[in-house]
Amino acid sequence: MYRIRFHGRGGQGMKTASRLLGTALFKSGLEVQDAPRYGAERRGAAMFAYVRADRQPIRERGNVVSPDLLLVADDTLFQVPVAGVMAGVTAETVLAVASTTSEMIWRDRLKIANPIYLLPHSEVVADDDFPDVSAKIAGAAARLTGLVSEAVLLQAVEEEIAQFGPKAVKLNLHAALEGFQAMAAGEGSVRESADLPADSYEKPEWIDLDLDLAATAAPNIHAAANSVQVRTGLWRTLRPVLDPKICGKCTWICGSSCPDGVIGVDAGGYPEIDYDHCKGCMICVVQCPRHAIAAIPEQEAVDALEKTKTAQLKGMPS
Amino acid sequence: MKESQFKAARDLPSSHILGAGTAMCAGCGGLGAVREVYDVLGKDTIFVNAAGCMTLLSVYPFTPFRGSWLYTAMASAPAGGQGVRDALDIRLEQGSLRKDEDLQVVVLTGDGTANGIGLSATSAAIDRQLDFIYLCYDNEGYGNTGQQTSAATPHGARTATDPETGGMPGRKKDLFAIWTANRPTYAATVLAAEPLDLARKIETARSLSGPRLILALAPCPPGWGFEPSRSVEIGRLAVRTGIFPLKEYIDGRVVHNRIPHPRLPVEDYLKPQQRFAHLFEPQRDDKRIGEIQAAVDAYWLEVENGHA
Repeated sequence: MYRIRFHGRGGQGMKTASRLLGTALFKSGLEVQDAPRYGAERRGAAMFAYVRADRQPIRERGNVVSPDLLLVADDTLFQVPVAGVMAGVTAETVLAVASTTSEMIWRDRLKIANPIYLLPHSEVVADDDFPDVSAKIAGAAARLTGLVSEAVLLQAVEEEIAQFGPKAVKLNLHAALEGFQAMAAGEGSVRESADLPADSYEKPEWIDLDLDLAATAAPNIHAAANSVQVRTGLWRTLRPVLDPKICGKCTWICGSSCPDGVIGVDAGGYPEIDYDHCKGCMICVVQCPRHAIAAIPEQEAVDALEKTKTAQLKGMPS
Repeated sequence: MKESQFKAARDLPSSHILGAGTAMCAGCGGLGAVREVYDVLGKDTIFVNAAGCMTLLSVYPFTPFRGSWLYTAMASAPAGGQGVRDALDIRLEQGSLRKDEDLQVVVLTGDGTANGIGLSATSAAIDRQLDFIYLCYDNEGYGNTGQQTSAATPHGARTATDPETGGMPGRKKDLFAIWTANRPTYAATVLAAEPLDLARKIETARSLSGPRLILALAPCPPGWGFEPSRSVEIGRLAVRTGIFPLKEYIDGRVVHNRIPHPRLPVEDYLKPQQRFAHLFEPQRDDKRIGEIQAAVDAYWLEVENGHA
């Protein structure tokens, strides 16, 4: 049986990707299961979807614990423990990652020797409503399994995307093809793994967790507004960054437009964004009359901050 | 009436009493409205929350509120509000609660509850002249479960219930009219994207007692199908196209706070939303768009003639 797992963020279309691949495999004569798995069903949240395919009826149910093929639509998810991207990865697992970082670096970072394929950046810019990464990653997965022909893949995309109109179909066909073609080198490299007999199941190892601080483990439920202990800033994929040189200090505009109320006013009268809680909706970016707030990819913003910190440390007398 | 403390947008509160860290979606128009309402009502407010999206506001052990929150089934939030109000009144009468410790009772529900499951309990609460504010965040569908059709879904909007048909065949139920037909103390429509108008109306509602409706249109990025960053813009377009009239009912009369002029064509509002995409692609559905425009035109003609 082939076990395939897609990891992405809510809104990237991993449910669609699993559906596209599932349909393509089904049309290629296999028995198929495909299903998405959400925590919180919202944009930006880590989620995964999985596909099982076999020539025999599939009796296995539930999450794919140990994938033969692992696809990752957002490479920042490796750092998010709850995303569980690497869970169950064995020496045989083939990886495909949408990333601009080289496979060498990924092997080094993840401390694995597995084959890692990189998904290319799009030639066409996807429009907001139809992220193209889902079809691309489905196309890549189809090629890596070696079970689906190009024609069948396109047929599956056409069928599944039809309800979103001809524009979406065109965009997704293009993306699926792009993903399919990019994986030529890895065609058929995914090996199916044997069904595990029930008695091979091993209980997970007992782990002793360090005790959390009492304040974290058992927050004071009578405390006012203790929801601030929840760091919704982790949801963000884009970060709103203010340029004080352009800002006109009309803080009531960005401040009142923020649904979460996380834009305050600092001592200098500038808006101050609480990044621990900003969910990254980017309303402030759109509403700012002077365009003083820019949307920066979260990883870029974090890297830039790290650099500044390092530079400051180096500049400090030892 | 006393002059408003909110004369201009800069008078709006710059810090907020609703805690961050809630699980509401990024760009949630309903959360924006709740936050703005809470800012004006103040911390001496108790929320009685019917099941819905806002269930996620207060997930044990965390709460964004500074006081109590009572969670009820969809049909029974006004009954929960009655219980809380009665308990407060009894304690006031007994002297175990000082007058300045009294709380404002706010029933918080979505449009599915307000227009459907919870409507009869609400009607009965108005009949009993329950002293409460009923805050409905109207995202025009059962948003928490993936945007199925509710009685507040607008004509022509596609939902998860019928993703491949022409969308909602019926008309959006007029909750404001249902309420005002019951002669409450106060009723108003608000929008997070119009914070000044909202703050003034909540200020008015706060100064009154008896049953009071605050109906907040809540643009819903996942349910309506638009980027979260456009949430405020979509809300304003609802006002500027005349689809969502800003109005209040006070002393038995309806007053329109803003008559959009010029009124933008409804398609300016419909087009950016995926739930109406079938009206424009693959062919433009002039009949359906025309129906929606005609309903809006007829409404404002009534207003101009002084009948609404």
